[in-house]
Parts: sequence; C-alpha cells; structure tokens
Amino acid sequence: MAQRWESDFEDDLQAVDLNLAIGTYGQNGIYEDTQPRIDEATLLAVQQQMAQQAAFSVLPDEVKRFVVRFHQAVLDNNLAEITVAYESGWNKLTEKYYAKIEWPEAEVIAPLVNDDSEGPVTLELPEQWLWDIIDEFIYQFQSFCVWRSKVKSKSEEELGLLADAGQVWSSYSVLNVLYSLIQKSRIHEHMAALQEGKSPAEISELVGEYGVRPLYRMLGYFSIIGLLRVHSLLGDFTLALKVMEGVELNQKSPFTRVTACHVTTYYYVGFCYIMLRRYPDAIRTFVSILNFILRMRQYHTRSYQYDQINKTADRMYALYAICNALSPSRLDDNISNIVKERYGEQFSKMSKGSEEGIPAFEELFLYACPKFINANPPPYDDPELLSIYLNDLPTEPAQRHLSLFLSEVRAQAPVPTLRSFLKLYTSLDATKLASFLDADEEEMVQQLMVMKQASRSVSRVENEKGLLDGQTMPTSDLDFVIDENMVHIAESTVGRRYAGWFIRNTEHAQRVFDTVKNSPLPPKSGSAQTQHQPSHREREGGGGGGERGERGERGGDRANASGGQKNAGHNKVAWGGVKVN
Amino acid sequence: MVAAAGWVQPETRTEQIENLVSGVDRYNPNNVGILEDYLYRQIRTEEYDCLANLAILKLYQFNPDLYNPDVVINILIKALTSSPFPDFNLCISLLDQRPTIQNTDEPDPLPTLLPILTTLHNLLQQCRFPAFWALYRSENAESLRDNYTVECVGFEDAVRRVVVHAVVGAFRRISSERLASYLHLDVEDVPEYVQKLGWTVDAGGVISLPSNPDNQPVSTVVQENVQLSQLTKIISHAQTA
Repeated sequence: MAQRWESDFEDDLQAVDLNLAIGTYGQNGIYEDTQPRIDEATLLAVQQQMAQQAAFSVLPDEVKRFVVRFHQAVLDNNLAEITVAYESGWNKLTEKYYAKIEWPEAEVIAPLVNDDSEGPVTLELPEQWLWDIIDEFIYQFQSFCVWRSKVKSKSEEELGLLADAGQVWSSYSVLNVLYSLIQKSRIHEHMAALQEGKSPAEISELVGEYGVRPLYRMLGYFSIIGLLRVHSLLGDFTLALKVMEGVELNQKSPFTRVTACHVTTYYYVGFCYIMLRRYPDAIRTFVSILNFILRMRQYHTRSYQYDQINKTADRMYALYAICNALSPSRLDDNISNIVKERYGEQFSKMSKGSEEGIPAFEELFLYACPKFINANPPPYDDPELLSIYLNDLPTEPAQRHLSLFLSEVRAQAPVPTLRSFLKLYTSLDATKLASFLDADEEEMVQQLMVMKQASRSVSRVENEKGLLDGQTMPTSDLDFVIDENMVHIAESTVGRRYAGWFIRNTEHAQRVFDTVKNSPLPPKSGSAQTQHQPSHREREGGGGGGERGERGERGGDRANASGGQKNAGHNKVAWGGVKVN
Repeated sequence: MVAAAGWVQPETRTEQIENLVSGVDRYNPNNVGILEDYLYRQIRTEEYDCLANLAILKLYQFNPDLYNPDVVINILIKALTSSPFPDFNLCISLLDQRPTIQNTDEPDPLPTLLPILTTLHNLLQQCRFPAFWALYRSENAESLRDNYTVECVGFEDAVRRVVVHAVVGAFRRISSERLASYLHLDVEDVPEYVQKLGWTVDAGGVISLPSNPDNQPVSTVVQENVQLSQLTKIISHAQTA
C-alpha cells in the first residue's frame, strides 16, 4: 500500500522531473527491477479489464455522482466546490462505503471521467489539500520505516517482500520528491524576492512557469516544512533548522493559512531547539503556537484536523514542561498554568533535579517526541546478517535520542538544589555551602560552574533570519560569582505587571460603553421610578448613558483625578476595586 | 554575548565547503572525500566546522558503505572540545544503528572508543575537569591518545579552552591550585599560562580574572514593557468611538 502510494504520487507529478533534484544515489535497484514485470502486466491486461468492468457495475450511484461532479469542479477550477468535496463529500462517502475497503482503483472509475488523465498543470487545489499531500507522504514514509524496523513480527511472506524491496521508501527517494518540488517551484527565490520587496511582475518572471502557479508554489513551500520534519525524524536537528532558511516564523507566514501546517512547523522547530539545548527558544516557540491554538479553538472544533491539532498541542505542553524544568522562565503565565494542570506532578519531579526526576523526563520525552526512524532498513536481503541483527537488536531510535537527552538532563542535575540554597543568601562561604549540601567542596564548586553554564543559552534575537542564529544570553533570574571562596549572589526580580489588567478592563469598559450607547433609551416613566441619580446627568453624558455606564464613567473621572476615595465603593463595576495611588 | 554565526558558518570555511553544506550537493556520496579532507585539515590546524562534519555523518547515515570509523572518531574528538555546546550529542545523534559490516582483518575501533569518548564528554559537560584529565591520562584511554588525539593538533589546549570558558564566567578570583587541577598543569606553570589570557596573579598565588558580563552579577528589577501591538484594539476603538 505504501509503495503504491508513492508511485502514484510520482506519476501524478511526472512533469516535475522528480529524480533530478539531488540525484538517484543508491536507488538503481528499483529501476532494474521494474523491467521484467512489464511482460507479466501485458499478459494480465485482458483479465484486468474484465475485472474492472465488473467492479464498475457495483459502484454505488452516490459515489459515481461524486466522481462526476468532482471531476467537473476540477475542470472548472472551482475551488469552493473542490474544497467542499474534499472536506465533507469525500469523508462522508469514505465513512459510508469505504471504511473497511479501499476506494476503487483509478482504472475502475476512469470511464466516468472520459479516461481523463492529463497532467495537473493548470490545476488549482485548496492549500489545505496541498499540505495534506505532503503531510500524508511523510506520514507514509515514517509509518513504513517504523513497520520495516520491526523484524521479529514479520511473516515469511513479508520477509520475502522486504528482501526484494531494495531502496523502496529510501531516505533518498523521499528527499528527492521534496527537493524536486522546492526547486521546480523556486520557492526560495520567491521568498527572497518577497523579502527584498520586488514587484509581483518581477517575482513572476523570477519564479518561472511553475512557480507562478499557486499549486506548485505551495507544494514547494510545504516541502520545506516536509524537510524540517524528515530531518527531525532522522535525528538531524541542525539540518532540520537549516533547511528552514528563508521561512519566516511569524503569524504572517504563508504556512499559517493552513492550521495543521502551522502547528506542525512550530512543533518540530521547538523540538529541534530542545535537542540543540536552546530551551528559551523552544519555550518561546511553544508559547507562541499554544496561544494561537487556544485562540483558534472555537473555530476548529468541527474541522477534521481538530483531534490531530489537539494531540500535538498536548505533546507541546509536555515539552514545555520539560523546558521549563530545565530553564525556569516566566514567559507566559497562562500556558504555565495549563501545564501545571496537565503535567503538574511530572513538572514538580523534574524541577527537583535529582535522579528521582529522571523517570518523569523519560515519560514526557517518549510521549511527546517525534516518531523517530532509522535511515536504513535492517539487512533483510542478507539472511546471515539478519540473524546476527536479530540476536543483537540495536537500540530503537527513540531510545537513542532519549538517552542523549537524558545525558544533558543529568549534567545539570545539581542545579535546582544549588539554586534553592543560593536564593536564600546574598553572599556565602563556599565551605559553608558545601556543608549545607553535605557535599565535597571541590565537587560543589564544579557544580557551580555547571549552574553558571546552564544559566546561559544561545537564543535567537528578533532580527536574525536563520533559525540557527542566536546570541549567548543569560536565561536565569539568579546569578552569582565565586570570589576565591566566597559566593556572591544577585537575583533579578520581575516588577508587578499592570498593563494586561488595564488593557483588559479598558477593553471591557469600551464594550460596555458601546452596548449602552447602542441601547434604546428606557421609557420615561420607568426610568423616573428606578433611577437614583438625578436625570440631568443623563443629558450631560450625551443621551447614551444608562446607570451602569454612568457609574463607570464617573468612576473613571474620579480615579484619574485621584480623588475617588470617598466614593470608591460605588466604582466597583468598572474598576474592580483596584487601588489607584 | 557570543554569536552563533561563527558556529553556523566559520570564517575558515571555503566557498566549496559552504556550497556543500548549504546546497543539495551535500547528499551526493561522491563528495564525501572533499568533506573528509576538510575534516583532516581541521585536525591539523585547530580549525573547527561542526556543520561540515555533521554533513559527513549524514552521508554515512544514508550510505552505510561509506562508513569510516577513523573519520567518525576524529569528528567526535573535535566535537568534544566544543563543550558546553551540544555538538558531541548532535554528532552521536546521526550515528544510527551500528554498521553491520564488520571487517575481521581490521576491527572497528569505534565500539571500544565510543564509551570512553562519551564519558569524557559527560565529564566536560559536568565541569568535572580533574576527573576528565584523570580518565584521559589513564590506561583506558591509551589507544585514544596514541592513535587519535596525538594527531589532533592542539587537543589538550582545546580542552583547556573549555576550562577557561567555564572559569571565566563563574569566577572573579581563583586559587592557583584549583585552576592547576582544572587545567592539568603544574602549579608553577599556571602564572605563565594565565598571563597569556590577560589574567593577573598576586603574591599569594591568587588569580584575578578580568570583568565580563558573566562574572558581574547584578540584581535588577525587570520592568514591564508594553508593546504598541497590545494597545491597537483600544486605540482603534478610540478612533471609531
């Protein structure tokens, strides 16, 4: 199934010269292998045609209608119709007829569309769909690799297939598809031209006949995100971030138009930063996307991607907990609170820094990490090597990356304890500190150096372009220096934050004001009975104010003039009882 | 502040190597020789280019036939002395499952050396410098020293630079004895070594380090910084109201 999918994909995009991008290293096997099968295929052709006719006759009418209508929509480039067909029609029919079996082969439905198989050159497709094409492609690759790596559970037949599989789904074949789309669409040139502020005419000349079409442009763009993902899965975290050169990571980037792509991008970027030990960058990445997901929640409940996005978000909360345990920060209270709700127990264990915290790191890392793969298959083609392999199974990729990550965690294990002691002093004798900790003084001084290094991190500065760029910066609120045998400590504190509160309440007051302004005046007789305030106040306020709005306004005036103490009790509606000093 | 730019693209990287590191030619196995030659230049000259070395490991990952244990060990030795940066683990990350091709005439030295290199790396990460030197000088590490680090020009000085990096951030003053144990030097040789760094030694053997942002901790109160974007809703409302 997986293999077939790949070949379909390559057929559909034949015009794109898929094999030219990075060369066909190491995959000669496939092409030699396809030759003898053609004769076999010719022999079976007649039989197949008969079978297809039989299959066609049992197609449900509803499915036939869908295919015809969809075909017409594609011919007309009717994006709205295509989107509906993709997001609801397809899913509905799949559920109804093809939940357990596969959709009919292309040959079976070919008569419905007049055997139309011309190239997709002028086609326009929803961006969501284009993303799904790339996403599914990599998912199939990843799933196949995971399946392939499990030698023990294979049947004889599967072992035979895999022995002959050669370079099927090789890393090279996957990178070739992605790089071909990138090169053909000239997406890098496109992004560079945009950043230089070139005119649309200049850009379309620059990007060529493929690059001007949204279909190829977006496939190229999504292929870059695909590379980020493939390299992450293979454990190459530097290259994963390097291939993102030119892609701007902000809310205006094209990838944000497809939420699933937006979320995937930030997840992998954040994860790579963790593996590069750039925890502040990872935290910033997760905070930005998690806030976005929170804001978008109301719009996405009915989308078929909703579950997937939620699952990825939950994994990012786990990764955020890991980062925050290793590099405590107060970047976003909102996200931190959700993390405490979901992973509070693990977080407090991880924050202690002792060996007891390791299982919590392990648990969250394995839950939240990408589904790592090996670049190469086990030696299925060599029975002798395969039996050696089976007797001494190599460590699974996820376990390998976990143990590397844990070595980083263990290196900074003494930090939280030291930190909790240093927080209590402004200066302290090293010998005394060692005796508090019940530790050897020399060892403790070395741990202090570890603490110092753990409180510095390479971190991206706003105007820097590449995701690998950055400057070494302090990341901790607690700093110290050792003066021979004296430790001097300085702590930075965060001043109280007022802006958020004032902004929220100003916006609230504006909403109240708008509501009141837009409400009809109450009937005269009723108003005379219920109102306590003299009616001339109403006229002064421009005729728009009811009682609630008026109090708020009055309260505001008083507070601004800092003379509102006397009537403070009346002002609760608008001011929430905050002290104005 | 140290910029990561020198790590992403060292000045010593030639245009040819830059094209390999940043372009699609990095996947072409025929180019592995160019990158390996570049690694050996790094071994001879104290230059270092992590991304170029990772490109070699990437080619080994995709083409197990290219695997050359000596190259891998040299890459790891170079990465070792970039501590506290995570280069060593980034390299290990690309060493997939062990290569299954075992040549009996010439046994693969990596499986025996990898645990030693990993332990040395962990000791540097944990700033346990005296323990690092003890292991590095021990019999266990003899084949690492005699066959590899001896060829790597300036290896011990590179380790000392890791030490200096750690000390310079954490200390204002440090005793000669302590520093000598970190640098694996005799106490008498310490003054000469630190004077090259611009550090001063007093009569009692206490070394003073120059001020830098890392060894001058200051207490600050971080004040809130309100961005204009936070206020756009309020301002635009004020305009329409």
